[in-house]
Amino acid sequence: MPSVAKLSHTAAMILQAIDAGLIYGFSIMEMTGLPSGTVYPAMRRLERDKLICSRWERQSIADAEQRPLRKYYKLTAAGAEALQASRNRYPLLERMIPDIEEKSL
Amino acid sequence: MTPNSEPVFHTIDRGLLCCASFLVPERQRAEWRLEWESELWHARRSHGASSAASWRTEREIASFCFGAFQDAACLRRLWWQDRPQSSPLHGSPRQCILWLGGLLLVSYLVSLLLPGVRAEHNLSSAQVRPGTILIQNEGAENSSVPTMVIDQIRIWERSRQRYADGFAFYRVAKESVELGPHVGGTWQIAQASSNLFALAGWSLHFMIPKEEARRDVPRLVLSQRVWRQQFGATPEIVGTVLLVGARPAQVVGIAPGDAWRLPGNTDAWLLKSDSEINSTGPGYVVAHLTRSGRSEMCGGLVHISSYDSLRSEHDFVGRSLEERTPGPANIYWFGILLAFLALPAIASVSLADYSFSSHKPSWIRRAVRFGFLGAKIILIMLIAYFSSVDLAYWHFSVFSPSGVYIQLIASFAIFLFGMRWALLDQRQRCPVCLRRVTHPAQVGSVSRMFLAWSGTELICTGGHTLLHVPGLPTSWFSTQRWMFLDPSWNFLFAG
Repeated sequence: MPSVAKLSHTAAMILQAIDAGLIYGFSIMEMTGLPSGTVYPAMRRLERDKLICSRWERQSIADAEQRPLRKYYKLTAAGAEALQASRNRYPLLERMIPDIEEKSL
Repeated sequence: MTPNSEPVFHTIDRGLLCCASFLVPERQRAEWRLEWESELWHARRSHGASSAASWRTEREIASFCFGAFQDAACLRRLWWQDRPQSSPLHGSPRQCILWLGGLLLVSYLVSLLLPGVRAEHNLSSAQVRPGTILIQNEGAENSSVPTMVIDQIRIWERSRQRYADGFAFYRVAKESVELGPHVGGTWQIAQASSNLFALAGWSLHFMIPKEEARRDVPRLVLSQRVWRQQFGATPEIVGTVLLVGARPAQVVGIAPGDAWRLPGNTDAWLLKSDSEINSTGPGYVVAHLTRSGRSEMCGGLVHISSYDSLRSEHDFVGRSLEERTPGPANIYWFGILLAFLALPAIASVSLADYSFSSHKPSWIRRAVRFGFLGAKIILIMLIAYFSSVDLAYWHFSVFSPSGVYIQLIASFAIFLFGMRWALLDQRQRCPVCLRRVTHPAQVGSVSRMFLAWSGTELICTGGHTLLHVPGLPTSWFSTQRWMFLDPSWNFLFAG
């Protein structure tokens, strides 16, 4: 079994934010307080490493809420495993970004 | 900040995203743009909801948009790291074309740096006017010997003839020229008719404006060679007054590069009216033929019979200056023609492919193979042109007779040996993938060739073919043959 990759603190924060239910780029930015130039490139790398995956929401949902389409991110199994390892490494991670109540897409 | 300024900032932000999107690999660009447009909407809404539009808000949104550049650069880096590794370059047709392209680029860049080549390209407009001839006595041994007198022009100008519509005369003599205080030299000065350059259809370079021309002194036209060697090709020399044989003369322009084709090896032309030119001594006559005069020309020559002032008949010959002007392109094509004729003497020009089986590559592969050969030949031709011009102008700042010979020999040699290489290279390229066959292996022994095959075997690293080249051509195995490998060989080339 391949060992779990050690993530940087920034990557761990982003994984934690996604796991907490903040599932599109700007919401992650707002919660983590990281600038856009850090968050989006980090998400590209996480997606390349298959720790997160993305999908576009349905057009009808965006039309109903009168906003542009969102690209949602969610953790993969490998991402969840990596996040768990990161929580052990960075114990304050969960306190910095607590789970929000609603996790629906 | 006014409410009306919001659309302006929105446009600026979208412009930033648009600029950043050009960093994103093309296949991901549309999706990336869509995501960022959406994120921008959320950012603007979030800031708009929390506070009234202000400079601070717009600065934050702009800073958000600048992050798009980092994201785009990240995607570009990831794409670069993950791109499929190209096949090895060594021996591939791409490597061959790159080498030839590199050589062509170098020879072309050198040609741009050489002043003589640049001048020749710039002076392509300085071609001799059609119908311009140099007239000499028929008995003259060569065109560089002055044989004409100015009185003959006067006779022709007075007579009713319909073959020429203009004449110019010049006579070359050595004269001292004072270039400055205590600086001087002896030049070949041509006392020339004032219409000489107009007659030949040449316009002067850096010609002095009419209002600046002095009427009290003769006009002096410098040759390209003198202008470069004595005055460092500076245009400021035009308009100055030099002392030519103790008489002042104003430099009114620089002769075009083609003017070297007028015999006399002239350093400068002192333009005068015909009446001011001394009538004693031989010189050269340049004339321009009318349409009927040109119809009399044959092979660049026209024979003229005329009477002099004593009513005695003289025969003259007019040589077209156009015919005497083999530009670099003409010499090059002549060299290419000679090389084509000489090619069979140094290389087999046959490109027939023989194989051990009836299998043949598809017509597309054969077309690609011949296209590759065509591309090599075209590149070699271009390399031969630029390299030969570079060599011809390496020591000569203007086109010269020595340059003609250098260019002819260079274009001939480069193209001849280039073609030889192209044909040999083509024979050693796999008909399927065009890679060069490698790993030569000697098979058999020449001393036993009547008992068993001997020669060299080469293999395509792509696993397509095996090339058999006989050690000694025999009646049953005279030329190389290809063996197309079937899939059972694949295990050798796996990975």
